[in-house]
Amino acid sequence: MKRLHMSYEKKKGLYGYGFIALWFIGALMFFIIPLFKSFYYSFHNVTPETGYLAVTQLIDNKTGEPNMFLNYKNAFMTDPNFRQYLVESLGDMALNLPIIVVFSLFVAIVINQKFRGRTFARAVFFLPVIIATGPVYAIITGDLETGGNNSAEQFSTMFEADMVDQLLEFIGIYGFGDSFTDLLTSITSDILNLVWKCGIQIIIFLSALQGIPASAKEAAAIEGATAWEFFWKITLPYISPMILVNIVYTVIDAFTDPTNQVMERMLSVQTEWKYGYSAAMAWSYFGIILVALGIIFAIMNKLVWYDD
Amino acid sequence: MADTMVKKNPVAEFLAKRKAEKPPKEPKISRKERRERFKKRMECLSPEEQNYLRRKQVIDAAWPVFRAIIVFGLCFIILYPLLFMISAAFRPRADMNDPTVMWIPKTLTMSNIKDAIKAMDFWNTLGNTAVLNIGCSLIQVVTCAITGYGFARYNFKGKSILFFVVIMMILVPPQIILIPQYMFFRYFNPLGIYHSMTGNYINLINTAATMYIPALTANGLRAGLFIFLFRQSFRGLPKELEDAAALDGCSPLTTFVRVMIPNAGSTFLTVFLFSIVWYWNDYYVSTSFFTDNKTIALMLKNLDGNLTRIIFGNDASSVNVRELIVWMEAGCLISILPILVLYICLQKNFTEGIARSGLTGM
Repeated sequence: MKRLHMSYEKKKGLYGYGFIALWFIGALMFFIIPLFKSFYYSFHNVTPETGYLAVTQLIDNKTGEPNMFLNYKNAFMTDPNFRQYLVESLGDMALNLPIIVVFSLFVAIVINQKFRGRTFARAVFFLPVIIATGPVYAIITGDLETGGNNSAEQFSTMFEADMVDQLLEFIGIYGFGDSFTDLLTSITSDILNLVWKCGIQIIIFLSALQGIPASAKEAAAIEGATAWEFFWKITLPYISPMILVNIVYTVIDAFTDPTNQVMERMLSVQTEWKYGYSAAMAWSYFGIILVALGIIFAIMNKLVWYDD
Repeated sequence: MADTMVKKNPVAEFLAKRKAEKPPKEPKISRKERRERFKKRMECLSPEEQNYLRRKQVIDAAWPVFRAIIVFGLCFIILYPLLFMISAAFRPRADMNDPTVMWIPKTLTMSNIKDAIKAMDFWNTLGNTAVLNIGCSLIQVVTCAITGYGFARYNFKGKSILFFVVIMMILVPPQIILIPQYMFFRYFNPLGIYHSMTGNYINLINTAATMYIPALTANGLRAGLFIFLFRQSFRGLPKELEDAAALDGCSPLTTFVRVMIPNAGSTFLTVFLFSIVWYWNDYYVSTSFFTDNKTIALMLKNLDGNLTRIIFGNDASSVNVRELIVWMEAGCLISILPILVLYICLQKNFTEGIARSGLTGM
């Protein structure tokens, strides 16, 4: 009897291989082998020849000795832009991440409520996902700037009146205001980009909000919770797993965006036929992102509350 | 016949009766009295309860107003570029230099649209893109669903490692593996023996195969995400479905085709729609492997040059940057119109699929 059971399980396992076989062949051809190849290239000097890529050992010009890590060394030590771009794009990511998460949570809570026209509002908030991945987005943002019809500029003038600064000085905080207004202006002048980046995150939060059990809402209402308390004690714990998901999604989205500076630098190196060098850049960037994601995961996992 | 006409619908009769019996409306009470009643009710409560109720009243009255302002403002920001697109696409170029024209052009013109259609070879491009898109998306949906099902319901050795590869497919930006992929297509060597047999390679660059082969092997655009979505949605279906099918003598493949696919309909539609949209917007594959192809995204990217070449001709120098906007926006408008229409018609399926495939178990 036991043997029969085992063989059934094994048979089922074989069917499993059957189902994923097609994908596995494709992944081998288009993903796994290219991935390893590019990793291999990153430690070598690669030049295109007819029919193949010539891979030679990297030789340090100064010492004349072979050095496997020369591409990496060059990227970080001698490249005039790479390190700066890396720091800038990571800084942008760190700044935008909390804003995007908080903003999309806020929007999701608002459009989760019942009001007239909420179907329309939902459709509008998701609209950027449909359009923003294509070349249309680059054209319209560029055109708005040259056309002088930039909504962001009009929006940020509201804050450029230094209201915040005045207010802070009134309270008795000096100097702090300048950097704070800079921060605010950078956020508000970027509001178009920001809103256009939040579509998927809003949907994820929205579905999480709808997953909050009615019993929890009822209990809170009976106990007389205010909206504020309800948010901190009911909403936040229930959606905390989705906050983690959204953070990961946002980081990956920013990281794989072909218009970010590191990516642009990498592609421009590629067009100069320096494949090994570009692969080294790509892998160091990828490594840094993976470490960042690992740290975020380790911290967030402790804060996330799972409803078991 | 006449009999049925006379006979009334019992439900309607009941409703009509109830309506007739409805108690008369309460007499209108004056504002003063209402306030007094409220006061009386408040007196029975403790001060804390009173406070809570009062605050709730204020918030309940004020919040909808705030909400309307916020929602309207944000919707406006999102729709702003689209409104500008519509406004610019139909205005004559001279209006771009007229400071009095902000939103509403002085005269409406179709010439920008016509020029853009001509410069993009729009109808050919549209047909070509649609065939490629729908073909690739259909194939990709089927292959990704099969893979997702394998990951969702079968246990086999090395499953976790293989699923890790799927996650990596989502994480790794395509630019990293661009060059090895290019070499693969440029020097295509079927089964690894074609070269040793004939001494030649097959050049797949600039053929539709660069799009169809990855789709056929569940490795097309964003395939990792689609496999993930399918796995989540198949995992959410009850296991009893398959057990029942197996007891009735269905093979795993028949079970998949006849039991699982009909139950995952909404995920299929969502993945198909997203696949269409992403293939539509994609210019990464088209600019690296398939450059001779006329797709909407590629033609839109090259619209600038094509306008100068085909439409402006010798007058190119007379068109300044601001004036160029009207043609560019017209091109954008006709490029996104098809997927915009698709989105407006099937808006619910876009959002609901994402929500329902439950990114929960992530």
